[in-house]
Amino acid sequence: MDKPQLIEHLHEAVTYTVYDTKWVPLSAKFVVLGSKANGHGIMDIYELNQDKLVKVKSVEKKVAFKCGTFGAASLRNRHMAIGDFEGRLQVLDMEQPDLPVYNVKAHSGIINTIDAIGGTQIDCGAPEIVTGSRDGAVKVWDIRQGQAPVVDMSPPPQMGDGINNSSGRRDCWAVAFGNTYNAEERLVAAGYDNGDLKIFDLRTLSVRWEATMKNGICGLEFDRRDIPMNKLAVTTLEGGLLVFDMRTQHPTKGFSYVEERNAGRSVGTNGVISGPKATVWAVRHLPQNRDLFLTGGGTGSIRLWQYEYPDRRVIDDSDGNKLGVAGALNMVSAATLSSQPVHCFDWHPDKLGLAVCGAFDQSVRVLITTKLNTY
Amino acid sequence: MENEKKKSLLEKYNLPLHYLDFAHVEKCTNAREMEKIVQVLRSGQEGHYPDLQRCAEEKLKALKPDSKLFRYEEQIKPSTALDTSELKPILDWTDAIKTKDSALNELKKVKQNLNLPSVRKLSKIDLDTQSETKTPKPAPKARTQPNTKNKEARIKSTDYSKWDKYDPDEEILRMDLDEERDQEQVEKTIATRNKSVTTDDLKNEKDSLYERLQAQLKNLSQLEREQFAERHRLRGNESFKAKEYENAIEEYNCSIIYDPENAVHAYNNRAVAHIKLKKYFSAISDCQACLQLDPMNVKAHLRMAEAHNAEGRHLESLSLYKKVLGFEPDNAIAEKAAKKLTSILGEVAPSTATRLTIEEIDPPQLQTTQPKKELVKSASTAVKKPEPAVSANTPPIKDYDLAELVKPNRMVKSNLVSAAEALGSKLQATKGAAPKKPQSPPSTPKESMLRLPQDNLNTSNKLLIQEI
Repeated sequence: MDKPQLIEHLHEAVTYTVYDTKWVPLSAKFVVLGSKANGHGIMDIYELNQDKLVKVKSVEKKVAFKCGTFGAASLRNRHMAIGDFEGRLQVLDMEQPDLPVYNVKAHSGIINTIDAIGGTQIDCGAPEIVTGSRDGAVKVWDIRQGQAPVVDMSPPPQMGDGINNSSGRRDCWAVAFGNTYNAEERLVAAGYDNGDLKIFDLRTLSVRWEATMKNGICGLEFDRRDIPMNKLAVTTLEGGLLVFDMRTQHPTKGFSYVEERNAGRSVGTNGVISGPKATVWAVRHLPQNRDLFLTGGGTGSIRLWQYEYPDRRVIDDSDGNKLGVAGALNMVSAATLSSQPVHCFDWHPDKLGLAVCGAFDQSVRVLITTKLNTY
Repeated sequence: MENEKKKSLLEKYNLPLHYLDFAHVEKCTNAREMEKIVQVLRSGQEGHYPDLQRCAEEKLKALKPDSKLFRYEEQIKPSTALDTSELKPILDWTDAIKTKDSALNELKKVKQNLNLPSVRKLSKIDLDTQSETKTPKPAPKARTQPNTKNKEARIKSTDYSKWDKYDPDEEILRMDLDEERDQEQVEKTIATRNKSVTTDDLKNEKDSLYERLQAQLKNLSQLEREQFAERHRLRGNESFKAKEYENAIEEYNCSIIYDPENAVHAYNNRAVAHIKLKKYFSAISDCQACLQLDPMNVKAHLRMAEAHNAEGRHLESLSLYKKVLGFEPDNAIAEKAAKKLTSILGEVAPSTATRLTIEEIDPPQLQTTQPKKELVKSASTAVKKPEPAVSANTPPIKDYDLAELVKPNRMVKSNLVSAAEALGSKLQATKGAAPKKPQSPPSTPKESMLRLPQDNLNTSNKLLIQEI
C-alpha cells in the first residue's frame, strides 16, 4: 500500500447546516460557517489540540453565512471575508467579530461563492475579493474602496415582465481568481448555473474567453492563483470534472481540456459504478503540490486526483496556431465519508495532508491524507 | 417484461456468450473488450464465476494497468487505523504551529506599512454586450465588408454589358487580399495578447522585482519571511516537477531573497534546476553557497560532484564523491558514481604509461629523471609535436590511411611512430624545435580529421596534470 490513504482524524457533529470550512492561516484553528435552523448565521472557531477539537469561539449573527475566505488577509491580521444569504459582504477580525472591518451590501441575492487574493503575495497586485451571487453578478471588491465594487460584472438590467424572461438571469455559482503573477495581470473565472464559464481579464477589462459546459458549474479553481495560469479545474452537476490547460489559448478552439465523467458518483467497492449521477460540489488543489487535487462528491465521497502533463503541452495546428494539449487524470484514491454531499473542503496551507471538510449531514471532519509527499 | 426493457450488459456490449471463457480470456488482446468482459462478470448478470473473473481481471491488468475498472473506493478509516508514528508528526505540529500563531497575534499590534498597490479604478465589464460584440468583433468587421460589397456589386444575370467588364482574376485577387487581411487581424490580436508576457525587458523587470522585494523585506518579521521563503521554495519544486526549470529558478531566487540564512534547501534545489539547464557553473556556486550554510550537506556534495562531472572535471567530482562516502559510507549514489569514475580515470592512467614509451624516441634531455608531473607535461607536448608534422606532410604520402588516426590513443601513437620513421629527418627537425602550436589553420577536411585525436589527447592530458 504505497498510495495515499484518506483518514478521518476527528469528527465534530454540529447543530446547524455547515456551508463553509476554512483553516486560519498559520494556526491550528479553523472556522466553520453555517446556518442555524432559525436562519441565523453562525461562525464557530475550532482549534486542534493534540487529538481533540476545542471550540474557541462562537459568533451568531442575524443572517446565515454562506461562504468565506482568508485570501485577501495578510499573515498579520488574518481577517476573514464572508458572504451571507442576503448579499452582504463583511470582513471580520477573528478577535473582534462583532464589529466588521468592512461591511457592504454587495448583491441583491445570496452570495454563493467568494474568492480572494493578494493577502500574502507581495508585489502581486492589490488585495481583492470577488463575489458571485444569485443575482447573476460577479463583483470585485477592495476594502480600501468605500461601498462600490472596483470591478462590476453584472448582467444587463432585466427587460420584460419578469415572467416570460425569468430564465434570462443567470445564477453565479462559482468564482475564482487566477493568473496573478505580477502587479497588473489578474483574471476572474466565473461559473453559472446554465453551464456558462466566463473568464474576465481585469487588466484589459474584457471577457477573455467563454465556453459552455453541459451542466451547471458548481466549483472552479485555478491550480495556483499567483502564477501565470496553468490549469483550471471545473466541476459540474451530474458528475462532470474538467481540467483545462490554461497555458495556451487557441484563437478559435480556446483552451484544451481533459474530462472525467461520473466524478461525483460513488465508485463502488468492486469498481462498478452504480447509483444516480451525482454533483461534484467542490475542487481544491493541494497547496503543496499543484498537480494533486481533491473533489467532493454528491454521494458523500471524496476523491484525490493527479494530473499528468502530456509530453508536449503545445502543438501547432494546420493553420500554424498554437493549440494546447491536455494531460491525463489519474484517480489516486477515494473514500466515502458520509451519506450526504461533501460540499466544502479546505487543505491546510501550512501542513501537508491536513484538511477540514463539511458535509450536509451537519458535521465537520478533520482529515489526514498520508503519503502525499511521494507525489 | 423487465428483461425486455433493460438489456443485459452482455447484449449492450454486443459480446457473444462464448467470450466468457478461460480460453478466450487467455488469448484476448483487446483491452476495451477485456474491460467489457470484466464488467459483465462483475455484474453477475450471467452468473458468478470467481475464478474466471479473477483471471479476466489479471489479464486486463496486464493489458491496461490504468483501467478505470481498478478504481475502488473504501469507507474512510478512523485515525486508529493510522500508525502512531504517522500520527505523531501531526500532533507535534499542532504544538509548533501554536507558538507561531501566538507570535503572529503579537505582531498584529505592530503596524505594518507595506506599500500596497493602489486601488483599481472603478470599472465595469458588461456581460451580454461584451459577449456579443467583443469576441466576434474582429471577424465580422473583416467579413461584413466584402459581404456588402458583394451585394452592391452583384451583377444581374441579364446585365451582359457588366458581365463583359467582370474580371474573375481580379475578383479572386481581391478575395485573397481580404482573407489575408482577416488573418493579419487575428494575428494582431494574438500578438497584443501575448505582448505583455514576451517583452524583451523581462530581465530588467525581474531585477526591479528583486529590488522591490528587498525593500519590502524590512517591513517583515522573521516569521513572515520564513513563511514566504518556504512558500516560494515549494512553488519552485512544483515548477521543477513540471519541468519548467526557469520558473523554478525564479521561485528559488525569491525564496533565497526572503530568507538567506535558512536557504539551504533553496540553494540545493536551485543547483539541481541549474544542472537540468546545463548551467553547471551556477550549479556549483549554488552548492558552495549551500555548503557554507551547512558544510555537511550530503545532497549539495552530490550535486556539486555531478556538476563537476558534467563539466568534465572528473577528479574534483571523484574527490567529492569520496568525501560523501566519508560521511555516509553506504550512500548508494556516491558509491556507484565513484566506482564509475575510477573506472574512467583508470582508463586514462595506463594511457600515460604508454605515452611515456614515446619519450624513448624523444631527445634525451626530455627523458631524464624529472618529476612525474614534468614527464606528463612533456608527454603531452611530445604527442602534440609530431602531429603538425604529419598533417603538413600527409598530402605527399597518398596511400596513408587517415582514418586510422581517428582511433584510440595507442593506435594513433603507433601510427605516429611509423609515420615519423617514414618521414625521417624532417620530423626530427621539428621535434627538436621548441614546443610549437600546430601550424597553419585547418582548412581541408583532412586536416580537421587529423586534429580530432590530438584534441582529445590534449584535454585528457590537461586533466592528468590537474590530478597530480
